[in-house]
Amino acid sequence: MDQLLQHLLNGLLLGATYSLLGIGLTLVFGLMNVVNFAHGEFYTLGAYAAFAALTLASVGFFLAIPLAIAAGALAGAVCERCLLRPLRGQSIDTVMLVMIGVWIAMQNAELLGWGGVAKSVPTPFPTQPVVLGPASVAPLRIFVFVVSGALILGAHLLLARTKLGRAMRATFQDRETAALMGVSIERIHTVTFAFGAGLAAAAGALLGPVFLLYPSMGDLASLKAFSVVILGGLGNFAGAALGGLVLGVAEELGAGYVSSGYRDAVGFLVIVAVLLLRPSGLFARAERVG
Amino acid sequence: MKRAIRALTIALGAVLAVSSGPVRAQEAVKIGVIQPLSGPVAASGNYIRMGAEIARDWINAKGGVLGRKVELLIEDNKSDPKEAATAAEKLIVRDKVPVIVGAWGSSMTLAAMPKLEEYGVPMVVETSSAATITKRGNPWIFRISPPSEMEALGLEKYLKDFGIKQADFLAVNTDWGRGAVGAFGDVLKRSGASVGAVEFMDQAATDMNAQITKVKAGTADTLFLTTSVEQITLVLKQAQEQRLARKVITTGGSSAPSQLIKQAGAAAEGTYHILFFLPWFPEAMPDGKLARAFVDEWAKRGHPFDGLTEGFRGHDGVLTAVEGVRIAGKPDPKAVREALWQVSVMGVNGPIKFEKDGPAGKESGQSKPSIFIVQVKDGKIALPAFAAKK
Amino acid sequence: MNGILLTIALAVIATAPAWVWNPYHLHTLIMAGIFAVLALSLNLLLGYTGQLSLGHAAFFGIGAYATGLLTVKLEWSPWLGLLAAIVLPAAAGFVIGRLALKLRGAYFVLLTISFAGCVSLVSVNWMELTNGPLGIPGLPPVEIPLPGLPTLSLRAKSAYYYLVLAAVAVSYLVCLGLIRSRVGRALVALRENETLASSVGIDSTHYLVLAAVISAAMAGFGGGLYAHYTRFVSPEVFLFSYTVTMVIMVVAGGKGTLAGPIVGAVLFTVLPEALRALTSWQWQMLLYGALLVAVLFFMPEGIVPALRAAGPAVRRRGRPS
Repeated sequence: MDQLLQHLLNGLLLGATYSLLGIGLTLVFGLMNVVNFAHGEFYTLGAYAAFAALTLASVGFFLAIPLAIAAGALAGAVCERCLLRPLRGQSIDTVMLVMIGVWIAMQNAELLGWGGVAKSVPTPFPTQPVVLGPASVAPLRIFVFVVSGALILGAHLLLARTKLGRAMRATFQDRETAALMGVSIERIHTVTFAFGAGLAAAAGALLGPVFLLYPSMGDLASLKAFSVVILGGLGNFAGAALGGLVLGVAEELGAGYVSSGYRDAVGFLVIVAVLLLRPSGLFARAERVG
Repeated sequence: MKRAIRALTIALGAVLAVSSGPVRAQEAVKIGVIQPLSGPVAASGNYIRMGAEIARDWINAKGGVLGRKVELLIEDNKSDPKEAATAAEKLIVRDKVPVIVGAWGSSMTLAAMPKLEEYGVPMVVETSSAATITKRGNPWIFRISPPSEMEALGLEKYLKDFGIKQADFLAVNTDWGRGAVGAFGDVLKRSGASVGAVEFMDQAATDMNAQITKVKAGTADTLFLTTSVEQITLVLKQAQEQRLARKVITTGGSSAPSQLIKQAGAAAEGTYHILFFLPWFPEAMPDGKLARAFVDEWAKRGHPFDGLTEGFRGHDGVLTAVEGVRIAGKPDPKAVREALWQVSVMGVNGPIKFEKDGPAGKESGQSKPSIFIVQVKDGKIALPAFAAKK
Repeated sequence: MNGILLTIALAVIATAPAWVWNPYHLHTLIMAGIFAVLALSLNLLLGYTGQLSLGHAAFFGIGAYATGLLTVKLEWSPWLGLLAAIVLPAAAGFVIGRLALKLRGAYFVLLTISFAGCVSLVSVNWMELTNGPLGIPGLPPVEIPLPGLPTLSLRAKSAYYYLVLAAVAVSYLVCLGLIRSRVGRALVALRENETLASSVGIDSTHYLVLAAVISAAMAGFGGGLYAHYTRFVSPEVFLFSYTVTMVIMVVAGGKGTLAGPIVGAVLFTVLPEALRALTSWQWQMLLYGALLVAVLFFMPEGIVPALRAAGPAVRRRGRPS
């Protein structure tokens, strides 16, 4: 029973980070139809940006995170403006391949710039774990959980309640009508991609201190993000948020009770099951997927 | 048209940004080096590269070998066996190196081995720990790192001091991790201790909480950890978070305890580490002066101190390879192979001399490196009491 | 004009071992050939049905392991191993095809990724079967038993080159035959407009499954060729980077064409090696990524379609108006 509680706690904390990774990608993949294989690289960029702010510019920990988000959003905007916009009419595979090229280039640039040695991010939190009954958790991870939740909520509010959010949703639902109503389509595309990249960077800035920084850290993040997007349904924001939690808990329980070697298989099997039984995602209203 | 110009500019810019590679000296003796310089273990590969470069510079400062300079041709195997094999092929065929040092991971080394046999070029294996490398009957392999079995034997004499009754294993899911689990498990069982949980983690995994929770629920008193320093850091931090109170022993020599202390902090306190180099006490190494000189040169070049526990392998690998060329009298691969059997040289780790290992008639060379144990005490590295007095 | 160029090109390719004196370059060509088979197989799905499989490395890997296990553990002949390398992945392709019968687009992509991920984990963890991370070393070389004469071993590079060349030719012909047949026309109809195709009675599931099976079989064949060339099989054959490489070759070469994947395979096998020779290891992959982006910018449809479109334009410009 004790083990179960700790496992569940682990799963929730892990899941929150998966959610954060997923919501950025679901917007870009679901709304813009861009298979963004470089999503993990924006995650990495956010982590290294926070690290740079902390160690090179001696910025405080709590300021480094918004700076990292800004860096990620900016990189995303540049990427959209220079690479994606000119390729707008092209097929999904061409765009995907360009993003793969960006992925390779960004990761190797990071390797060149920062070197392959993993870096540890200093945090102001004590390392003594907080004890919750038979389970325990580090204060830093509680902080990450809370901030992730706040970011997810904030993003949701932005999409649902603000004029910008409405414009975004309108553009992706019906481009022509939105354009007729005065929405600047080009701007919306850039903003959406930047938004997704910024969320990925946020995840990186938050998770960097929990784990370690190294150039290939984004690969696993990309994969988990795609899994979460499918679980929750393409373009389904709430679905991604919940999907992340589901994936985290499923992986944790699988690794804890079945086999640690096959841990990632749990995630894959969940995806396969969802795709076969309820392909529009666990939390979506039924929609055509074929 | 605009797009074409833009694309051409990008391409041109990319090509111009790269100055072509270093001008190759015509008469230098070329030693091939294959390491993982990118990907998840890029740090380790780069440390070994740095150590190799120090060896090269020292050798050249003393006049080189056979009156010629030593040049290192460094290839990245990207932790991919196909790349390791291709890199070996390129080094042997295009660059005509008489000997190679590599390739870090056991799968990489195994993938390159058929090329060695095909072209008849020897390779000095500096890190790989899989037993099969020297047992496969490939007479072109000369290993200076210990296979997991040898490492476990090195621990055996301290087992009573550790007082292990039951041990759990948490290892990276590669040939190295699995080999270590098997080798150390055998040694434990021979001495009357038992093996508890055996858990694995993917090489790229960052969250090991599930495995730690499982280990915590067991009754073992010790946890053996076999993986690279990054994952050890994460495991220790997460173990601290879950309040796992166990004796921790890391194996494999890739634990870089200084880096561990810096990044894991109090979580690393009390942990033991099996290493093959003691950069904190270089005078305790078989050749104290050489070890001290290596540590100083490393620091002079601004390399991170944490990399020393692995970087020395690059030095010893190149040292051995060059010595082979020297004894052979010419940079000819077959002559170098014969010569490597006669190598008896003092490396940073200790004496390097090859013994036969593997099936008769096709033996590989295996040296017997020195093995040490250290402990993290009060935030510093110390020799455990029982090890110090031996 | 076109015919003469083609004949010269074919003659050059056919006699390569004679004038490519550097075995390392021959090695690169052999790898390019193996990847050409893989790219052709992926093109069947991607170019002709429009469905993207990002788990194609799984079929490649299953083929490699099939022949590896049978020839090393059971000591079968490599030819039987190669046969198994075709049949077993085909069965997997059938399963995937049927499982995915209701999925299209991004959902199909993710199913294939998950499939590849699972297979990869099995190869790493099921030690008893696959030897796990240690891999299966020591695959035997392919040999042709000649009655009355000593066995002709294809171990040497020049010999293996011809085997791979034959494989590329066979794969190309299979694809060509398929595309020109009723099956091919049905596939193209499905790619262009599935609803319309179904409405005229084309059973989309049946044809997609068929495409998946043939595609998987061909990829498995490539895996078998790879295994007997490198003579070492390990879980790294399931690396996502292999799939990515295949996709790059198909899309940059020109999907939906038959020459495209071959051109893409040769270009993107030679390119990294050329970069390896020209630059230091730090810049190799960075430049690769940058060049990839540049190629796609310049020629978003792929190289072969761009060259084909340029052809008439060049001819038009050359003609006096």
